[in-house]
Amino acid sequence: MYANPNSIINPSLWPNGPAPGCFFNFPGANVTSTSSSSGIITRTQSPVTTGTSILGLVFDGGVMLAGDMLGSYGSMAKFRSIERTIKVNNSTVLGATGDIADFQHLKAIIEQKVIDEDCADDGFTLKPKALHTWLTRVLYNRRSKFDPLWNTFLVAGIEDGEPYLGCVDKIGTAFSDSKIATGYGAHIALPLMREGLEKKPQMTQEEARALLINCLRVLFYRDCRALNKHQIATITKEGVTIENNIELDTNWEVANFVIGYE
Amino acid sequence: MFGQAILNDNLPGAKQHHWSPYTDNGGTIVAVAGDDFAIIASDTRLIQGYSILSREQTKLFKLSEQTVLGVSGCWCDVLTFTRTLEARMKMYLHEHLKPMSTPAVAQLVSTMLYHKRFFPYYVSNIVAGLDQDGKGTLYSYDPVGHCEKNRYRAGGAAGAMLQPLLDNQVGLKNMKGGVLPDITKEKALMVIKDSFISAAERDTSTGDGVIINIITKSGVEVMHFPLRKD
Amino acid sequence: MSILSYNGGCVLAMKGKGCVAIASDRRFGVQTSTLAMDFQRIFEMGPHLYVGLPGLATDTLTVHERLRFRLNLYELRESRKIKPQTFSAMVSNLLYERRFGPYFVEPVIAGLDPVTWEPFISAMDLIGCPNVPEDFVVAGTCAEQLFGMCEALWEPNLEPDSLFETISQALMNAFDRDAISGWGGIVHVIEKDKVTTRLLKTRMD
Repeated sequence: MYANPNSIINPSLWPNGPAPGCFFNFPGANVTSTSSSSGIITRTQSPVTTGTSILGLVFDGGVMLAGDMLGSYGSMAKFRSIERTIKVNNSTVLGATGDIADFQHLKAIIEQKVIDEDCADDGFTLKPKALHTWLTRVLYNRRSKFDPLWNTFLVAGIEDGEPYLGCVDKIGTAFSDSKIATGYGAHIALPLMREGLEKKPQMTQEEARALLINCLRVLFYRDCRALNKHQIATITKEGVTIENNIELDTNWEVANFVIGYE
Repeated sequence: MFGQAILNDNLPGAKQHHWSPYTDNGGTIVAVAGDDFAIIASDTRLIQGYSILSREQTKLFKLSEQTVLGVSGCWCDVLTFTRTLEARMKMYLHEHLKPMSTPAVAQLVSTMLYHKRFFPYYVSNIVAGLDQDGKGTLYSYDPVGHCEKNRYRAGGAAGAMLQPLLDNQVGLKNMKGGVLPDITKEKALMVIKDSFISAAERDTSTGDGVIINIITKSGVEVMHFPLRKD
Repeated sequence: MSILSYNGGCVLAMKGKGCVAIASDRRFGVQTSTLAMDFQRIFEMGPHLYVGLPGLATDTLTVHERLRFRLNLYELRESRKIKPQTFSAMVSNLLYERRFGPYFVEPVIAGLDPVTWEPFISAMDLIGCPNVPEDFVVAGTCAEQLFGMCEALWEPNLEPDSLFETISQALMNAFDRDAISGWGGIVHVIEKDKVTTRLLKTRMD
């Protein structure tokens, strides 16, 4: 019933150490064993390899997604070239925050959906609103099984000539807006994006890109789980372009004035 | 003894993420029914924790030409509930070759909520519309389907703040005079607007704007007015 | 349930033009049982100074008596009437002395300055964090309902008669939506040359 039955009978040698004559007991190891032997299934999980903020911004005639390419393993910057923004088809892109494995699992399913539609060859393709609704249902059904997919997704695209930007989180909270940021971006980048859009509600593609790049830079400065290697996806009537491996100029001169942490 | 086994997991650095299938997305609904009309209004702010997710998210769902549903609470449940309800109403339409009446919708809402009695939709519902005789009607619910017919109702995050105000201004409670005349459309609109302005002062999850639906026999008229955005 | 809502009850104060009003319900109960309908939770602390102590009834009495004691000492030592601001600070101080084992009351203070006749209201939480606004203060088990009513009904520069009507309507409609407040109300309107105390006849359920 217990991960280390001896720990109850024999005190361990040191705090969290093995009991005399036993192997070391690793943290978390008893979660599954406790549940399986007692007949209770525990699905509660936590994210493992994670991605940080994704930003989305609608401009005049299109929409952009932006985010970095880091897959963090706790506080370790482990995977430095993860594609967190993917092209779904010629009208839709998808960006993900949260657990990378869950995202890549869904990515495979979505890619198969797109292949199936291509094979049908009936002229219909997955549109952004349809993908957004589909994702909402998938995430809501998983949360209802108490086995969530640990992500927040941004769906961006063009539908009937109009730009579309939607967001859905791990329990299925879904909404659409002209500016959305996930994770830390909701606190750091979203106010900057709202300020930009308040000054100029109908931005050009260049202005939107400049605003997003500024947001990415600020996030890199202040979000410890961010990386200076970014992806920017642009969706217009002409189609989808994703720029990879964008590195931004940074200025760390201010660091010289920070004292007291030596 | 049991604590010992659990404590082994409690290492510094080993953290457990907790998650809840529910979240509070705020929002307020106010509705008033008159003799030949019903008015229902919602604010347009969607929140999570201290963050504003959206400033322009209506919580009103037009179900038919004479019925509007207002929902607030856990937004993912709101979406699921309203979509299932819309599907059920379509099934009714195709089976009976007529749209559902407001009292029929009201009963369906209650049944659907109670169907999930032991994993409830975390929502506060108000159904507003005209009944078969063209009279304004209102039904309000708790999350597990308890239903009550009302003349006026405030629900959602600022429901507790606004309900006494409606008691006073629409129900004429604690006022002199006996018979209650039916409220006029103009007076109802004024009370609804004032109530949202008051709610936005004291409830952080209510603000940004209000969407008002006025249901009369000629259809649903939509109005919008801004609220404070802080 | 919180200890603050063990006995039920609420207090409300409003500023007017050259006057202030303070009002409360009259219920005393233990959880959902109503035991008395003539409970006093607003106390006269001077000719133009009142304090309301909603919360745990036993602490209402204790805090009232300890405030009375400190106020008497103050007025003996100073040989003058206390200012409402000073009294508010005294209440705050008394509560903060019990920071880690508090009295379960949320005081509301209303009064006129004994020299300038300037209206004053304040409210504080159970450990004495003061709130001194320009319009109204609320406390008790139906604070949320009171906020909704006051926010809609209150306006600046109310004359004493209008202030009485406003505070009474705010109080009655708010506590009618609270199961553990109500059963009668009391309103004091404090002016420079008189204090008018009225009992409100309300629904008793």
